Amino acid sequence: MVYKLDNLSVNYADHVALHNINCTITAGKWISIIGPTGAGKSTFVKVLKGLIPTVKGDYWIDQQPAPRDAKGQLKVVPELGFVFQYPEHQLFETTVQKELSFALNLQGASRQQITEAIERILPQVGLSESILPLNPFQLSGGEKRRVAIAAVLMTNPKLLILDEPTAGLDPASQVSLLKLLKTWQQQNQSTILFVSHQMEDVVEYSDEVLVFHKGQLEGHFDPRTLFMEKEELLVELGLSMPEPVQLLKLVEELSGQKIEVASCKEQDIFDAVQPIWHSRGRLHG
Amino acid sequence: MLTFDQVHFYYKKGQPVLEDISFTIEAGEFVAIVGANGSGKSTIAKLIDGLLLPRKGSVQFKGLDTTNPADLADIHQQIGFIFQNPEDQFITTTVMDEVLFGLENIRVPREEMRSRLEDALQAVHMEDYLDAMPHQLSGGQKQRVAIAAILAMRPQVIIFDEATSMLDPQGRQQVLAIMQELHRQGLTIIQITHHMEEVLSAERLLLLHQGRLEYDGAPLAFFETMPVADYQLQLPFAVRVHALLHSEVPPTADWKGIIRSQWSTN
Repeated sequence: MVYKLDNLSVNYADHVALHNINCTITAGKWISIIGPTGAGKSTFVKVLKGLIPTVKGDYWIDQQPAPRDAKGQLKVVPELGFVFQYPEHQLFETTVQKELSFALNLQGASRQQITEAIERILPQVGLSESILPLNPFQLSGGEKRRVAIAAVLMTNPKLLILDEPTAGLDPASQVSLLKLLKTWQQQNQSTILFVSHQMEDVVEYSDEVLVFHKGQLEGHFDPRTLFMEKEELLVELGLSMPEPVQLLKLVEELSGQKIEVASCKEQDIFDAVQPIWHSRGRLHG
Repeated sequence: MLTFDQVHFYYKKGQPVLEDISFTIEAGEFVAIVGANGSGKSTIAKLIDGLLLPRKGSVQFKGLDTTNPADLADIHQQIGFIFQNPEDQFITTTVMDEVLFGLENIRVPREEMRSRLEDALQAVHMEDYLDAMPHQLSGGQKQRVAIAAILAMRPQVIIFDEATSMLDPQGRQQVLAIMQELHRQGLTIIQITHHMEEVLSAERLLLLHQGRLEYDGAPLAFFETMPVADYQLQLPFAVRVHALLHSEVPPTADWKGIIRSQWSTN
C-alpha cells in the first residue's frame, strides 16, 4: 500500500496545523516522525487515519482517492492500525481473550479465525497463551501495553501508527517492545509510522525519518543523512542528536579524521570508534 | 528530615505493594527513585505526600506524621508534586492565575503574592509569559509553569514523578536544568524516572524491586555493581561508553568531558 498526500493543509480555528504537506509513505518501512511539541506530528498521523474530516488538498491510497462521505469529508481508513499514547487506557474487557477478539468479532470473523489470529499475534508481542484468561487490569504496565498493541495487530494492519508507544515503560520493556514491533514490521512487510521524542530509538529502528516543524514537513530523510549531515536542522528545532552520533562526532573532532561507519546505530558506531580510541596516542604521535 | 520507618503498603490484602521500606532523606538531597513498572515507585511518592497512608510503619516529615490528619495540610504545603503529563496539571486559564491559584488557597496576603509570583516565574524562566494561555505553551513550558506554581508555595521538597517523560528533547533539558538549579539553591529533589541518563546526575539512588528497597546508595556504584537487567533497567549511555573505552576515570554523566580529558593521556 502507498499513501500519498498532495498539498495537504489542515486549519484549526486559530492556527494552521499542517501547511502544504507533500509526502509519500511506501510499504514495508519503519518511518519515524520527529519534531518539537506542536509541530504537527499528531495531526499528520490523524489525517492518514482519516480522523480529521476537513482537509485541503488530496489524499491518495494506492493511487485511489481516500474514502470520503457524501459531503466530501474524509472517512476513517479502516485498514490502518492506530495505537494512541497510553493505549492501555483504552482496555475495557474483562479478559485478555475478549480484549483481543473484540475487533475481529465486530468484523464478523469466525471463532476459528479469531483463535488462529490470537495464536499468531501473541508470540509476536512476546506474550504467552497463559495470559488469555487474565483480567487486563491485573497485568504489569509493560504487559498491558503489549495487550493493547496486540489488539490492534489482530486486524492485520498494513500501516500501523504508533504515537510514542514506549512512554511510561521501564527501560527493559521499552527495548523489548520496540524489538518486537520491528520484527513484526519486517515479517509482515508492513509499514510503521513511529512518532517519538527519543532520538536514540529513532536512529536504532528507522528506515526513514519525517521531520516536522511549525506545521511544515521540513524533510523526508534516511536516518544516516539526517543525523550525520543535518545537525544544524536538528539543533534549530531543539531536537537532540542521538548520543552514539554525538560520540562519533567527538572522536572525529579529537582524531582529526573522518570515521567510516556502517550505520549510525549504537553498535556500529561503537565498533568504529573503539579501535581509534585505543590507538589515539599513536595517532598523535 | 523525611523518614520511612518499616513501611508496609497494600491496596488489596495479601498482595503487598511495598514491604518493610525504611530510609531517611536529608534536607537538600537529590534522590532518584528507579525500578520496573509496578515496583512501587509512585506508591512511595504518594506515601511521602500523605496521599496514601502506610498500613504498617510510619512516614514522617520534620516531625509531622502523615497518619495525623492535623499534620496533612502542613505536609502538602511543604512537599510539592510535579506529574508526568503537563496537560493534566494546568487548571486555570493563564500562567499568572495558575501560580496565584495555590497562593490563594493557602491565604497568602495579597501584597506578598506579587513577589512570590515574580520569583517563581523567574526561577523557571517564564516571567515573560504572565498572560499566556495553556494552548500557547509547549509541553516543556507547561511543566515549567507547574513547577513555578509549586515554587510559589515555598516548598522544601519537590517530587518529580516521571515529569520529563512526555516532553520533547528541548523541554526535557529545560526541566532537568531547573531541577539542578533548584537543588543548588537548597531544595530537596526526589525524582522518579525511567531515564537512566537522568539518574547519573542525582546524588543518591533508591531501587525498588517487587515492593522492596533493594539498593540505597550512589548511582554510579549501582550501575557498576548491580545486575541492572534483572531489574528491568538499562545502563546509561555514559556507562556503556565507559565500558567500551575501558576508561580509567570513573564514569559521570559528562562522558564527553571524560573523553576530551583522556584523549591525550595515552
